[in-house]
Amino acid sequence: MKPDELTRIALGNLWRTKLRTFLTTLGVIIGIGALVSMVSFGIGMQKNVTAAFYENDLFTSMLVSPQQIDVNKAISGDMEGMVNALYEPPPPLVDSTLSCFQTFSGVVISFPEIRFPVKIRFAGNETRINIRAMPASMGQYKPFNDLLAGSFFKSDSQNTIILSQNILKDLNVKLKNRHIHHLTLEDSLKSTVLIEADSMIGDSLDVITSVVDVTKMTGFPGFSIKGHRRMLFKEIINPFQIGGIQKAGSGFEAPSMISGAIIPIQTAEMLPRVGFNNIWDVLGGKHDHEGYGSAIVRVKHIDHVKAVQDSIESMGYSVFSIMDQLSEMKKGFLIFDMGLGAIGTIALIVAALGIINTMVMSILERTREIGIMKAIGGSEGEIRTIFFVEAGMIGLIGGIFGLLLGWLVTKIANAVANMIFLKEMDFSVNFFHIPFWLILSAIAFSIGISLLAGIYPAARAAAVNPVEALRHD
Amino acid sequence: MKHLLKIQNCYRIYFKGTIQIQAVRNLSFSMRSGELVSIIGRSGSGKSTLLNLIGGLDTPNQGHIWIQDKDLTRMNRTELARHRRYMVGMIFQSFNLIPSRTALENVSLALAFGGKGRSEREQTAIRLLDSVGLKDRMNHSPGELSGGECQRVAIARALANRPLLLLADEPTGNLDSKTAEDILDLLRKLNRKGVSILMVTHDQLGAERISHRRLQLMDGTIIKEEQLRSLHETG
Ligand SMILES: Nc1ncnc2c1ncn2[C@@H]1O[C@H](COP(=O)(O)OP(=O)(O)O)[C@@H](O)[C@H]1O
Ligand SMILES: [Mg+2]
Repeated sequence: MKPDELTRIALGNLWRTKLRTFLTTLGVIIGIGALVSMVSFGIGMQKNVTAAFYENDLFTSMLVSPQQIDVNKAISGDMEGMVNALYEPPPPLVDSTLSCFQTFSGVVISFPEIRFPVKIRFAGNETRINIRAMPASMGQYKPFNDLLAGSFFKSDSQNTIILSQNILKDLNVKLKNRHIHHLTLEDSLKSTVLIEADSMIGDSLDVITSVVDVTKMTGFPGFSIKGHRRMLFKEIINPFQIGGIQKAGSGFEAPSMISGAIIPIQTAEMLPRVGFNNIWDVLGGKHDHEGYGSAIVRVKHIDHVKAVQDSIESMGYSVFSIMDQLSEMKKGFLIFDMGLGAIGTIALIVAALGIINTMVMSILERTREIGIMKAIGGSEGEIRTIFFVEAGMIGLIGGIFGLLLGWLVTKIANAVANMIFLKEMDFSVNFFHIPFWLILSAIAFSIGISLLAGIYPAARAAAVNPVEALRHD
Repeated sequence: MKHLLKIQNCYRIYFKGTIQIQAVRNLSFSMRSGELVSIIGRSGSGKSTLLNLIGGLDTPNQGHIWIQDKDLTRMNRTELARHRRYMVGMIFQSFNLIPSRTALENVSLALAFGGKGRSEREQTAIRLLDSVGLKDRMNHSPGELSGGECQRVAIARALANRPLLLLADEPTGNLDSKTAEDILDLLRKLNRKGVSILMVTHDQLGAERISHRRLQLMDGTIIKEEQLRSLHETG
């Protein structure tokens, strides 16, 4: 039998029982819709996270720190490693090391990671944060080259601060944008102020640091710290100017990039403060510093990461790069996607049971017709094919409309999610992503599952005994 | 002359628990090309079973059935389907048309199994319906046709793939006597044009009127055979 006739017969049979066909197909539509929206959510998340990492050049940054004694190794009995570590202390991370890193090909910048707790005060409001220090040259890289207002500092020693939007929130400042025109009642109760971001640039802001008040240190230092802790410190107010305000992130990037406050690196080193990183700094005053806790090395391109990482590691430092985490991350997302896919697949399996049910019913009703087809020369193969095509049609139509349903659901869910989670933001995020391969594989999967569901009914139809089917009226 | 159909020591036995029902029992006969043979016998004598065996819808437990030189009992299921499609055409007491399809579509379906393309199918189906006098009713469904008209559609369908042998199982059983006469006339006309026919009937007189030969069946086997006229005579 020619394929066109097979298709015509199958379609005719489906059309004859429209309501039943519709309900069966609806099951498939819902199954595929669920599958597509679930998987597209997983893909969307992965895409957002990875894109945000690229956007902020996270893949091209690495964190270098002096090697630590590997506790695990020591416990597991690697005495050699431990003893070596004790007798040959790892090389410290000092300025000369950093300039050495700079000479590696591909490295664009390296600077010590300096962060310490301060209080900042703006327009009478105070908040505690960890302030970070960066060289002015970071201003040419993402995300610092594109600020919401103002610009990154040009010199390493000016008293300028770059603020993020979450700090503004802590300072009871709300930025005016196209969504926010006036304050809510709740805002006014908290005495929040509404300001245009641009108008804050150049405003003065105090960075308050603590220093040890040496005049109050007497007797056994440990005791004193414990007993008269408050008395040991005194606060120093350092006047700064607001240089810029960072854009809000989409929520997928590393928090360190878009939160906190940043000041120039030399300014930071000059700020009078207690280094909490090292208790001896507190007790003994700060001496010649013995190296930084960690440093950030940034390369020009993602391809440079491996070589630079290897060179730095061979110098005896440990390097953390997000690249190392990428494959782990991908694995994690794969599992996430599979979990979501499994939920959708369950819906599809239920739909497949619906197909089996419908087709077995229709075979019972059409036993005589099948007998007739056999009597006039229909082979088992042809009769099986007719039912397969029927199942396949349900799968195809269910797949196409299921895809549409899934697409619609993601559109609506995305709009709702943006409204709920990002209502005060100046941008929107696509939480869902339907790549082309998902479209194709959803339809293929739909047809495949439907054909699978058609195997038993089709075999049953082919096995109809024509003598029995034709015997009675 | 060569046999068109030859049946040799055929058995079709149904087993119901410990009971054996021999629907066809040690049956042998043969038929020549161009013959119109009728089979008579009481209800339950095995007439339909015999026709189903020849039609390839059923297989004997023992014995052989040859059509031309091919032995049905040695065919696999696909070959049996080809046999049903090209070698024999069957009509039934209850017509067995597909109710959801028009007369034209019913005939066309048989042609579709024969692998014919769409336009050829349509042309042939119209010609066949014309030859049974139903051209103007071709777009009617079985429910809209009378019994006689349905049987004509069934005959057109049975002839669609130019079978060697037309098998008719009580083709007039559901029809009034006048209509039955018309159908028998149509079968005789087809036979005169060269279609070999094996027909089961209760209509003794009708059988006598148009057949070359008459076989009587009882308890699954032939008990009487009468030559009514020679192959070259017309009824
Ligand atoms: N599937 C079956 N199972 C058991 N017995 C059957 C079956 N089909 C037919 N028979 C028996 O075989 C005999 C012949 O049946 P059938 O060929 O239909 O008779 P006829 O067509 O001459 O009336 C009957 O006794 C009938 O009961
Ligand atoms: Mg019968």
